Order: sequence, then structure tokens, then C-alpha cells
Amino acid sequence: MIRATGLATQLGRHWVLQDLDFTVQPGERIALLGLNGAGKTTLLRCLLGLVPFRGELWVGDRNVRSASRDARALIGYVPQRAPHFSGTLGEVVEFLTRLRQADSAMVHEKLAALGLSMDDHGHKALHTISGGMLQKVLLALALGERNPLLLLDEPTANLDPRARREFLRVVANADPQTTIMLASHRLADVEAVTDRLLVLHQGRIVFDGDRTDLRERLGALSVLWIKVPADRRSHAEAWLHSRRQLPPVLANGTAVGVRVDQTARIGILVGLREAGIPVEDFWVDSPSLHEILEHVLGEDSSTHGTAVTNGLTEP
Amino acid sequence: MPRLLLWVRRELTGSLRARWFLAYSVIFFIGGLLLVTLGAGTTAIVGYRSFAKAFAGMIHIALLFVPLMALFPAAAAITEDRESGALEYFLAQPVTFGEIYAGKWAGMSVAVLLSLTIGFGTAGGVAVLRGVPPHWVMALFVFVALLALAFVAVGMCLSTIARTRARATTVGIVLWLVLVAFGSLGIITAFIRLGLPEASLVAWTFVNPVEAFRVGVIATLDTDLSLLGPIGAGIVQRIGIIGTVAVAMLSLGFWILGPGLAGWAWFRTVR
Repeated sequence: MIRATGLATQLGRHWVLQDLDFTVQPGERIALLGLNGAGKTTLLRCLLGLVPFRGELWVGDRNVRSASRDARALIGYVPQRAPHFSGTLGEVVEFLTRLRQADSAMVHEKLAALGLSMDDHGHKALHTISGGMLQKVLLALALGERNPLLLLDEPTANLDPRARREFLRVVANADPQTTIMLASHRLADVEAVTDRLLVLHQGRIVFDGDRTDLRERLGALSVLWIKVPADRRSHAEAWLHSRRQLPPVLANGTAVGVRVDQTARIGILVGLREAGIPVEDFWVDSPSLHEILEHVLGEDSSTHGTAVTNGLTEP
Repeated sequence: MPRLLLWVRRELTGSLRARWFLAYSVIFFIGGLLLVTLGAGTTAIVGYRSFAKAFAGMIHIALLFVPLMALFPAAAAITEDRESGALEYFLAQPVTFGEIYAGKWAGMSVAVLLSLTIGFGTAGGVAVLRGVPPHWVMALFVFVALLALAFVAVGMCLSTIARTRARATTVGIVLWLVLVAFGSLGIITAFIRLGLPEASLVAWTFVNPVEAFRVGVIATLDTDLSLLGPIGAGIVQRIGIIGTVAVAMLSLGFWILGPGLAGWAWFRTVR
């Protein structure tokens, strides 16, 4: 569905994307992960033909450089922040649907599924509805138009938790044949929707692979926090220290924590109980994006150094 | 419906709903009515010759508000969508920048013309009923329309170049001030100071769209351009009265196409 070869683009003298090579198969759900400024939005803008670029970029069988309009006809797009359109919801939906020569009934159906029936909301001026609802409108348009490629640029960044969950649920339930590319810096969003990760750092791909691969490799970065009675905390810390294979013990004032992968968690909890230390509560903190990037970049330079396929790519 | 027409319709619908459209129509009507009523009043006393003088004097009123009224909404045409993020979203659709720009330009032009037609057209109808020759009213309307379209094009151009609506509007006002200030008196002063030949003075008169409008519309009423003083005499001597009207229209036509196409070229390359 997407094929990029030697893709590069610059803003002024600064290279925002550098020599990206990747392909995305039809129906694949891929996340663009990276810190702010990593190049996620720029990559999406390249796909939309909105910025000049070097290299080759194809959407389906359409060359983005020479036939960007045709390429855009295959793409549904939801930006990070919904724009402020003038007019009513009904007018804007009708205009955008006709612009894409799509079936408005499908869009209305998607809107209704998102709790925005045209009967109830069609007459409302768009400037009077919330940003979250507007994001839903754009999602309904993108899905209802049956575009084979959906580009989502941090679409939940301005949504409250409930709206975010609902938005992601709808995206996750999209037609399996729809290729989805989701740019985000939220791991939870990525995990809810996508299977494959493309991690960008300073305009380069530093990881390209299966989400579960990364999860397994990053398992050791997760922190298992264990809450024990205050008078037993020093015992718990001593017990964890005594387990030589474990990294240093962490403490946050109410709980003790240790970085372990998924397979070791149960053993620790059982071991503490057997040692007579009651566990009152426990939870797991996933690694932050910063930690993931540090880990990925560290591996990249120390263990791989050069190009990688389906794993770490050349720095 | 072709995509271009969708854009025209959207722009037109938005304009018709906007407050400026109604306000401008009312202002054009009142201004036009004043123009023909006062002029026709003079006619009853001293005949058409004096009416023409009164009419020509009133044209200055049109010079003051028609360009600005065309400029303000046009300067917002692209900048407003850019500021709201809608432009990026529109450009992400399967449309070309040319369709968006041409649709907005055409829609805005039609809206301004409609407003003028409602305002000036109604006032012109009243004037004809009161005995003013229809061809005078028609000539005034045509030149007012050309002047408005020229400033719509200037506004569209500024709207693509400026990043914000405020900046586009400010530059537009400054440009309008310069063009108005650089009228006949300004041109004569500059040419006396610089010692330029008379021929170039005539040419410069038509470079300025505001002057082209003034000279062109007066030429339809005052066949020797005596109302314009020495500049008028110089123009008639060189290109004749029909030539004056034609060159004035050509000048305004250039001001419609020049900035309009420049804005399109800028939008295409820079966005």
C-alpha cells in the first residue's frame, strides 16, 4: 500500500526525514512512534503530497510526486487538531463527501456509530461543537469514504480519556482491508490499534518490526511496583536485593519496585509471600517513550552498529 | 458537480451568510442612492452637464469604500482557512491547489458582485426612474464592478502570501492608501519634481487602478475630461475619449488578472 525508497525532506537547512526505506502491505496497521520532532507528521505530509521530498514514494500504484491528487484519493486523513470549519455539520459533511465523490450514506452511518447522528447534530454550526466531536466527524468521514489507506496524525492528542478510548475502538474495528498508519507518542494508543511499529528518531527509522517483538525486548524496562505494609518494606527491599539476578530496587515512598520482564513478575510476587511479606497491591509501569528510544538507540550502537532488517536500522 | 463549482458554491454560501455581505449591500445601496439622488437633484436645476460634475464628484465616495470592501473579505479567503487549519485539511483531499484557489477567487468575486448588484443596482434603478440616462448608470456600475474585482484579486494575492489575516488586511490597507494618495495630484507633483515627460504621466495614470477607475468612469460622463484638469486634457489629446475608456478597462482588467494569477502562482509554489 505504501512504498518509500530513499525518502528525505528538509525544512530550510534541517533534514526532517533522511533516507527512509520501508513498505507497508495492504491491510497492515502500522504505528509511527517517536518523540516530538522525530518526523512523524512530516512523513504523513509527504504521503499526502503536501511537502516536497526526495526519493520515491508510492501509495498503492500511484506515485505521490507525479500524481499526488490521485494518491490522495486513496487516503483518509485525520489531523492532530480538527480544523475550524465554517458552516453546519451537515453542510461540511456534504461538502467533503461530494469533494471526494463518496457515498454520504456511509459517512452518516459512521457518524451515527460514533454517536453523531445527522438528525440530531446535522444542523449544528461546527464552531459550537467540541474538538473531540470534530475529531470523530473527521474519523467518520475517513472511514465512511472507504479509503484504502487511513493516516491518523496523533488523533487522540486533544481528546479526554473516554473519547480517546471510543475513538481508538472505532479505529481498531475498521475494515480489516484498510491500511492504517497511526502517528503517536502514546504507547497505549499504538498498542490498541497497530501490529507493527516504525520508530522514528531525528528523521530516521531506528526500529521497524512487530509490536510484540519490541514488547518482549523491552519487557525488562517495565517496572513492577509492589506495595507492602510499611513495617515490612525494608524486609521486602532486602529480599529483592538478595535475588542477585534482579537489577537495583526502586522505591517511590509507598511501594518498592524492580525492573523485570513479564516472565519474572509472578515469581517475585510468590517469593515475597513465601518469605512472609504480604503483598497489598502491585502494578506495572510500562517504559516511557524516552526509555524505549534510549534502549533502541543503545542497542543500535552497541550491538548492531549497522543496518538491520525487521529490527534496528542503520543509524 | 465539478469540484471547482463545489468550491465556488461553498465560498459563495459562506459569503452570503457572513455579516459583511449584508452590510456592504446596504452601504452600496445608500452610497449609490445618495450619488444618484444628489446628482439628479442638480440635473433638475442646471441640466445633465452639471449632473455629470456632481456625479463625478460622487465617484470619489466609491473610491473610498469599494476597494476596501472588496479587499477585506478577499484578504481573509485563504488566511482564515490557513489559521484555522482547514487549508491543510482541504489540501489533504483529492483536490488541486488550483481548484481551491480558483474556487475561492471565483466565489468571492461573485459574492462581491452580488453585493454590488443589490446595492448599486437598486440605487441605479432608482436613478433611471428619476431620469438619469441608463448608459451612465450602467457605465458607473461596470467600472465599480471592475474596481471591486481588481481589489478582490489583490486581496486574494495577499491572502496567499501573508501568513495571517491581520497581516494580509494591513498590507492591503497600506496599498490602498498608497494608491489613493498617489492620485492625480500625487502624480502631477511627482512628475513636476522628477521632470518626467507628459507621455509617461498619462501612462502612470493608468498604472494605478484607482486612477484608472476614476478616469475611465468620468470619461463616460465628461467627453473632454475637463473635470480632470490638465491630466484629463493630456489624456484626451493622446488617446481620445474611447481610448481612455478602453485603456482604463484594460488597466483594471490587468489588476484583476495580475494579482489574481500572482496569488495562484505563489499558492502553487509556496502554499
